[in-house]
Amino acid sequence: MTPPPAASVAAMIRPAPIPDDSKINQDILYVMKGTSPGYWLLLSIALTFVGIGAAVWLWQIYEGLGIAGYIHPVFWGVYIVTFVFWIGIAHAGTLISAILYLFRAKWRNAINRSAEAMTVFAVMTAGLFLGIHVGRIWKAYFILPYPNQRGLWVNFKSPLLWDTVAVSTYATISIVFLYVGLIPDLAIARDRHSGWRRVLYGILALGWQGTSRNWKSHTRSVLHLSGLATPLVLSVHSVVSWDFAMTLVPGWHSTIFGPYFVAGAIFSGFAMVLTLMIPVRRIYGLENYITDYHLDNMARFLLFTSIIVGYAYVFEYFIAWYSGVEHEQTSFWMRTFGAYWFSTWVMIVCNAILPQLLWFKRLRTNVPFLFVLSVLINIGMWFERYVIIVEGLSTEHDPSAWGVYTVSWPEIGILAGSFAFFVTLFLIFLKLFPIIAIAEIKELAIHAKLHPEGGH
Amino acid sequence: MAQLVGVFEDPGKVAEVVGHLRGRGFEDLETYSPAPFAEVDDAVLEKPSRVRIFTLIGGLLGVVAGYAMTIWMANDWQIMLGGKPYSSIPPYTIIAFELTILFGGLLTALGLFIVGRLPRFTRDAAYSARFSAEDFGVAVRCAERDVAEVDGLMRMHGAVEVNLVAG
Repeated sequence: MTPPPAASVAAMIRPAPIPDDSKINQDILYVMKGTSPGYWLLLSIALTFVGIGAAVWLWQIYEGLGIAGYIHPVFWGVYIVTFVFWIGIAHAGTLISAILYLFRAKWRNAINRSAEAMTVFAVMTAGLFLGIHVGRIWKAYFILPYPNQRGLWVNFKSPLLWDTVAVSTYATISIVFLYVGLIPDLAIARDRHSGWRRVLYGILALGWQGTSRNWKSHTRSVLHLSGLATPLVLSVHSVVSWDFAMTLVPGWHSTIFGPYFVAGAIFSGFAMVLTLMIPVRRIYGLENYITDYHLDNMARFLLFTSIIVGYAYVFEYFIAWYSGVEHEQTSFWMRTFGAYWFSTWVMIVCNAILPQLLWFKRLRTNVPFLFVLSVLINIGMWFERYVIIVEGLSTEHDPSAWGVYTVSWPEIGILAGSFAFFVTLFLIFLKLFPIIAIAEIKELAIHAKLHPEGGH
Repeated sequence: MAQLVGVFEDPGKVAEVVGHLRGRGFEDLETYSPAPFAEVDDAVLEKPSRVRIFTLIGGLLGVVAGYAMTIWMANDWQIMLGGKPYSSIPPYTIIAFELTILFGGLLTALGLFIVGRLPRFTRDAAYSARFSAEDFGVAVRCAERDVAEVDGLMRMHGAVEVNLVAG
């Protein structure tokens, strides 16, 4: 039989019915639809605090750093503490996206998008504090190596310069990672929206169609970005820790600071992922995607990093005693029983003692418990940086030069503003972009559908 | 020329049909997948993606730029700091390391755009929103006299439906 001409075949085939959309698309894109009064309330509270923080910062720019609680010899206070805190929070995202990707830990798929977004927002929040802390914000660009009439260059032997390079690299790579991962999901969103959203997703999706060429270069890029981001994660908080460890201040001058800070960063980052995702999964009914299994795995990570952090705490004291150096011993004695005893005990209890409860499986899958614990860990990790930075400076070598720093109201205003800034960015992201990596979830779902007997 | 698009549910079947079609000499084909499946992508393009060359070039540029920038700047106006040599390799290694990652990552993204042919301003006629749901598509361009053969081949390999693309 001779085949009929194409045009008549086309006429014979009835137009394909629009298939039911995938349930995964519907469930996850649902998060982006509509906004409840509760959402607007939360967003307006957050924006109010952003406004307060911004107003305080303007006041500080006008008035000078004197309105912060600085007192000789403590000139690194809440701003640097909060900077280190947010950089730490930023570490979970890349750990989950890059390191767990290389380890082929498939459970990361449920949380990697939210963690990556959180990373970008946390780095942005941390970046604010560099400007806030330097005081003369209009000279902040002095840190960059730019050609100038004085012929001067920056000092690349300074840990502060390493920090600038490391943190800006981290911010750039986190944004690239988040965006590259988002492209296939943006195409999904483009195909299912109309109006301004279709235009926005259409532009951002870059015409993605899921062709073999698209996917082949995408998977290869994600692999390479993961390979690059893995050493980057480990380096960034090590470099931040060298801001302290490279000095001779007792309590800072320590070789364990690199791994100690990195473990603490991952610990706090995972806690922040839990703090954000437990309410999101409850409110938007994502329990099928972020299951108890995922929470259990994150809780195990918390337990593991808590043990490393706890070990570092113990060893700091041991080395201070074993070194026989009086300055070190005094610094650690003052840390535990001196003016800052409260902060130190909050840090020890929240970071090293309470997470030990996660040895019990029943508690690892108890959602309200995990939420409360994750908030306590965030508080504990903020105090950890407070203890290290403020206590270290307050009791340096010479007792006649000791001083006690107390946090001032403007600093608290800016601190609250920074949390509100972070929450605002996250809330906006929630409504604009898929909070779970749809394509990656589908990869598992299609495998599971075709091979129901097991494996992954 | 006609273009047929077959809809599949199983990536394994897509890989099979692509292999079979290419064996029969239908080389002008494209697949659409909702998620990455190595078997599908490898069936169409055998060679590993050239994105890796971009990453390599980026990384090498970064490490060279890191050392070159720091050493040149330190020697352009020499200031003795802490009694250390002007060209101190250990601290500059940190800068070189970070720039390796930075340039490597940025060029990897550039590689994705160039090798993956993005951005693309129009959608293929064969593309449909169902390929961003959970279906797979195989689009084949063939002479009109081969339409029946391609259609039969796709159905033999489990195509849920086969459509002729207009235009």
